[in-house]
Amino acid sequence: MSATADRLVNEYLDRLEEELADFPAARRRELVQEISAHIAEARASLENEDEASIRNLLDRIGDPADIAAEAAGPPAPEAPLPPPPAKTRGGGWDVAALVMLLVGGLILPVVGWFIGVVLLWTSETWSTGEKLLGTLLVPGGLALPLFLLTIGTSVNSCGGEVGGPITCTGGNGAGSAAAAVLVIALFVLPIAVVAYLARRRSQVAAPA
Amino acid sequence: MVSGQDALLAQMRRGTLQYCVLSLLGTEERYGFDLVRALAEQDGMVTSEGTIYPLLSRLRRDGLVESSWQESTSGPPRRYYRLTEGGRTALEGFRLEWRRFRDAVDHFVERTEPS
Repeated sequence: MSATADRLVNEYLDRLEEELADFPAARRRELVQEISAHIAEARASLENEDEASIRNLLDRIGDPADIAAEAAGPPAPEAPLPPPPAKTRGGGWDVAALVMLLVGGLILPVVGWFIGVVLLWTSETWSTGEKLLGTLLVPGGLALPLFLLTIGTSVNSCGGEVGGPITCTGGNGAGSAAAAVLVIALFVLPIAVVAYLARRRSQVAAPA
Repeated sequence: MVSGQDALLAQMRRGTLQYCVLSLLGTEERYGFDLVRALAEQDGMVTSEGTIYPLLSRLRRDGLVESSWQESTSGPPRRYYRLTEGGRTALEGFRLEWRRFRDAVDHFVERTEPS
C-alpha cells in the first residue's frame, strides 16, 4: 500500500503548495519542507501504512487551507469602524428645506410649508432647537403674512359706488398700524430665521 | 455549548498556543514533530497539527525562537528550534500576566456554589 500512501501524501503536499501560492517562495518552501518532514516522521511511527492510517495522519495535520490561513496571520483585529460618513443627505435637501419653509406655502398652500418642515426635521444639519425655531418662526413661512395681507386688504377694502362717497370699511388707524407692523414682522421673521439656518448650515458644512 | 463559546475557546487557544510553544522550547530544543507531539499530548491544545508550523515560522521571524539543522540518526536532518533571549523575556512576561489573569478568573468561576 506504500504507493497509495505516497500518492495521498503527494496530493496533500501539492494542495498545500497551492494554498501557499501567494506567499513568498522562501516561506512556502519552509512550510512545505517542515510539514513534509512532519509527515515523514509520523509515517515512520505508523505500524501499518494502510490507506486509513495515512488519511488519519493527514487529517490530524489539518486542511492545507487552514495551514495557509494560519500562515497568513491572525485575522486582523476588527478594525475600529471608521466614523460613519456624516449622513448629510445631499446638501440640496437642506436648501430645499429652507426654500420650502420660506416659500413652500406659496407654491403649494399649507402643504408646501409642511414639506419644508419635514425636510427640516429629517435633516441632521440642524440642532433640535434650530429646528424648533425654523418650525415656529413662522408657521407657513411667507405665505402667512401674504395671506393676512390679502385678508387685510379685502377687509380694509375701500369701495364706493361710482360717483358716490368713498367708504372704507376697516379698523381705525391705530389698529391698521399695528396690523401693518405685525405683517412686516411676519415677513421679516421667517426670512431672518431661514437666513440664520442657512448660515448655521454653512458653518456645519465647513467647520472653521 | 453556548453559542460563541466555541469561538472564544478557539481564540484563547490560539492566543496562548505560542506561549505553550515557547515554554516547551524553554527547557530543551526540539524539532517540529517532537514539539507537535508534546503539544498534542495535552487534550484540546492542538486541533490541526499542521498549523504549528506557520506559528513556528512566525516566532522565528519575530526573533523569539531560532532554528538550526542537526543530523538525525533515523533519517534526514531535522530543523531544531530553541528559545532566544527575546523569546525568554516574552515568555516570562506572559507567565506573570497569565498567573494574574488565571487567578483572577479562578477567583470567580471556581467559587463553590452555595448548596
